[in-house]
Amino acid sequence: MPTAYPLPENVSPATVANTASLLRIIALGLISAAAIASRLFAVINFESIIHEFDPWFNYRATRVLASKGFYEFWNWFDPTAWYPLGRVVGGTIYPGLMTTSGVIYYILHALHLPVDIRNICVLLAPGFSALTAWATYMFTKEMKDDSAGLLAAAFIGIVPGYISRSVAGSYDNEAIAIFLLMFTFFSWIKALKQGSAFFGTIAALFYFYMVAAWGGYVFITNMIPLHALVLLLMGRFTSRLYVAYSSWYAIGTLASMQVPFVGFQPVRTSEHMAALGVFGLLQIVAFAQLVRAHVSSKQFQNLLFVAVVSTGVLGFFAIVGLTYKGWIAPWTGRFYSLWDTGYAKKYIPIIASVSEHQPTAWPSFFMDLHFLIWLFPAGVVMCFRALRDEHIFVIIYAAMASYFAGVMVRLMLALTPVVCVTSAVALSTLLDTYLDPTEPTVNEKAEPVNDPPSTNVPVTPKKAKKLKDKETAATARGALGDVVSSVTSAAGGSTTSPKTTKGIFGLDGRVAVLVNALGLLLFFVVHCTWVTANAYSSPSVVLASTNPDGSQHLIDDFREAYYWLRQNTAEDAVVMSWWDYGYQIAGMANRTTLVDNNTWNNTHIATVGKAMSSPEEVAYPILRKHDVNYVLVIFGGLIGYSGDDMNKFLWMVRISQGVWPDEIQEPNYFNNGEYRVDDRASPTMKECLMYKMTYYRFAQLFGGGQAIDRVRGQHMPANGPTLDYLEEAFTSENWIVRIYEVKKDDVLGRDLKVANAFGEGKKRKRTKPIARRKAIAA
Amino acid sequence: MLRLIIALLCLPFCLAAQKSPRDELVQLAAAGNGVIRLDERTFDLLTSPNRDWSAAIQLTALNPQRRCGPCKEFGPSFQAVAKAWSTVIPEQRNNHFFASIDFDDAFQVFKKLGIMSAPVVHVYPATEGPNAKTTRNDPFKYDFSNGFEARPLAEQLSSHTPIPIPYKDPINWARVTSFISLIPIVTLIFRFIRPVLQNRWVWAANTILFSTIMTSGYMFTRIRGTPYVAPDGSWLAAGFQTQYGQEVHVVSLLYGVLAGSFVMLILLVPQQSSPSRQRTQIYIWTALNFIMFSVLVSIFRVKNRGYPFKLMF
Repeated sequence: MPTAYPLPENVSPATVANTASLLRIIALGLISAAAIASRLFAVINFESIIHEFDPWFNYRATRVLASKGFYEFWNWFDPTAWYPLGRVVGGTIYPGLMTTSGVIYYILHALHLPVDIRNICVLLAPGFSALTAWATYMFTKEMKDDSAGLLAAAFIGIVPGYISRSVAGSYDNEAIAIFLLMFTFFSWIKALKQGSAFFGTIAALFYFYMVAAWGGYVFITNMIPLHALVLLLMGRFTSRLYVAYSSWYAIGTLASMQVPFVGFQPVRTSEHMAALGVFGLLQIVAFAQLVRAHVSSKQFQNLLFVAVVSTGVLGFFAIVGLTYKGWIAPWTGRFYSLWDTGYAKKYIPIIASVSEHQPTAWPSFFMDLHFLIWLFPAGVVMCFRALRDEHIFVIIYAAMASYFAGVMVRLMLALTPVVCVTSAVALSTLLDTYLDPTEPTVNEKAEPVNDPPSTNVPVTPKKAKKLKDKETAATARGALGDVVSSVTSAAGGSTTSPKTTKGIFGLDGRVAVLVNALGLLLFFVVHCTWVTANAYSSPSVVLASTNPDGSQHLIDDFREAYYWLRQNTAEDAVVMSWWDYGYQIAGMANRTTLVDNNTWNNTHIATVGKAMSSPEEVAYPILRKHDVNYVLVIFGGLIGYSGDDMNKFLWMVRISQGVWPDEIQEPNYFNNGEYRVDDRASPTMKECLMYKMTYYRFAQLFGGGQAIDRVRGQHMPANGPTLDYLEEAFTSENWIVRIYEVKKDDVLGRDLKVANAFGEGKKRKRTKPIARRKAIAA
Repeated sequence: MLRLIIALLCLPFCLAAQKSPRDELVQLAAAGNGVIRLDERTFDLLTSPNRDWSAAIQLTALNPQRRCGPCKEFGPSFQAVAKAWSTVIPEQRNNHFFASIDFDDAFQVFKKLGIMSAPVVHVYPATEGPNAKTTRNDPFKYDFSNGFEARPLAEQLSSHTPIPIPYKDPINWARVTSFISLIPIVTLIFRFIRPVLQNRWVWAANTILFSTIMTSGYMFTRIRGTPYVAPDGSWLAAGFQTQYGQEVHVVSLLYGVLAGSFVMLILLVPQQSSPSRQRTQIYIWTALNFIMFSVLVSIFRVKNRGYPFKLMF
């Protein structure tokens, strides 16, 4: 057998196996270390701080859990959120994340390691990313072999699409959910392959953990039934499938119903009906198989077939009928909007308004996945070539997830694992082909020399490290034999040429391909590092900018303002802001809020939107009725922070228009279809509370100069708006956060506008009281 | 006696003179299939300040000379909603009117209302009587952000009518018929397309096509309705968060070529029995991969100005 490069002769297979296993462990360790380390940019560049919005709530809830114990947390009613309604926190959250950190906290404290709960929360996501890498390794190993598994683990360890949701401090449900997703899928594949109720139960338990941790569990709830259904349609029903699915569904569903927030949804809502339907279908099919095995009569078999089909159809119509009758809730808007993409904007603007629910433009895909985005179709082709049961799973997953990721930016997270897995399969097949030292014989009539096709997945991991593959020709040939045999066996005899004529001749071609592949991998690493450091490591609570001399300048307005609230206002003060900042105010300022990021009550949010988009006279009674003491707005016009309230303002208008179409109308806020905030702003815009609070005294900041809003690039009029019913209480260093105090009623019982005009010594308008005074004077 | 006859003769005229504005409007509405076609006089009548009825008025310009495409698109929807309203029981029906006014019939009305563009829908609420919700006279303007379809129109107008408009989307019989006629055709040719349906490579090609198109921002262009190219003809939208329709084609083609080059390297090249031909193929596919990836990165650099890396271009 000719080889392309010399191989050591005197190495025993045992040594090879041991070395490979050692290298595998080292590689996995290094991958975990890289995955954790690259997520620490946020801590190093800034500090150990909770990021963004939702994590602040999770952190607050975790603190309750850590300080007061599980039962207090479970029964927690939070009167300071959604004032005056309050929120039953225990029954309206996915408690998996907090419980995980709580368990870690108690374990560490039992070991006398007094770690602060904040640090556990900050570092939970990087820690779980290492576990995700391991779970992806296990999953990919089922698809191809160890080398593909290691590649997939390395990909998912550093790919920005996953890092974006799991940097240190991003203490959100997704942080642990992707690990659970991958491990559930791994257990499902394992259960399916072995027909093992044990792995089916493991899958169910991890499914339960996933249900407790993230609303995205519905993805698993539908992926596994879809896989089972496709297998059924392809005529691949086996008892292994029956055992795996039944054990997963029965235990998983019962377990998932223990989460209070989920409750009876698994039997009452359309999202879960696919799983139930496939479960029923599998029972019917299994029963039919059983009967067919025992009955020989042809007619009876026909009868059975008809019976099975009609039962299935009846079941389907029963589900439809129950939905129609209202026994089964139809698809919730959140999921329905994934299919009918215009639905959310029309009927649930609050969902459409969230930035992570926007559709994805292609640069985001490239940014988040780099070369994997085009490599993964090649991996799908490899899956089609082998097309075992588990490959069908990956194919369905790839197709579904690429659609979902296109519809919603946030679902990029669901696409990332499958992209890593399939890309790793493709790349590892390429490396297998071009690193394989055996050269084919030029003579086409050479006799087939190779090992018999083995049914097992090859266990010889050649490419744990590309440089470390100086192993025996025997192992390498074994792997090749497996690959080739899998091709021929899978392709069903479509390729009939003898095995030895396939392969790569010479060394130069190999080197060219490998250098290209290595270059891609290096570029990928550099890209991921750059993206992580520059795009995904900002806590968004603290903003960074660069000074003229290149040094970093931190903009800390948010915390400045929240700490001002904490220190200077009454403990029971009620702060009104747009819902985005609710969790942060609760977490950092510890004050009562009207609305927050748990957007469960649309009317309440619309009330806040109405107050913001109405004139002062209309807004003031709303504020007083809700006991609002302070109003907080975000304004980026001075330093050019584009995520401010004026840019979100149209959503406030739209959401409140949905509830009060008579009073709030979006077109009134435009000047001939243009969104203006300068002196050409529409009268309604100039009168509304949000505009006034945003630009109050803004022009004075520029002395006599021309005031300019740097976000919208418009010149502001020299005479800004005036306020009668509120007064400025606090404005942060860079004017990002502005807090206004709602004035109390005038002591003399006058309208505040009149009182203000009097205080400024303005001549009163000729109104009735004046006439009366004149009459008295006369 | 003569007086009586004269009186009898006069009766129709008296009745005509006595006819209330509401009755006149009811007649006009019945004549126009639910929609009153207004001129300047009847517009003033319909929108008189003391009215115990409400009205939804479509201001449009259907004359082909005006070249108002949206008007033509919106007109049928308004008609359909008005027709749905005309099926309501009369006591409720006559409390709300649908009316249409054309620019060429009543130029003065457009001038008076200061309307520069069409179509516009104004809803005048009742100011008197049991249906009066507000005392203000100014109309509510319908928001076209939900498109020109009849359903959102009916839904929004229902909040101004005494009872909700019983509008139902018409059944698209053409679609139903074509769907039903498809069933026997599919069953007929199923025998012939069965090998195609059972061929894994057909499914593979479809899956790959679907995935590459979806990951090159197709849904973004669908949802946002971005144009195929910019008005000035450039196909590449500057900016990270946006893209044009043509970018979907270019980017998915690039993805396809890049993935294809790897598939060729994996599947096709090792099958070659001649070393020289195999070598040529290796170099061609590798070079293609590298060059196309450089192109992709260079396009990405246009989209994301701050991206520091580049390959060839």
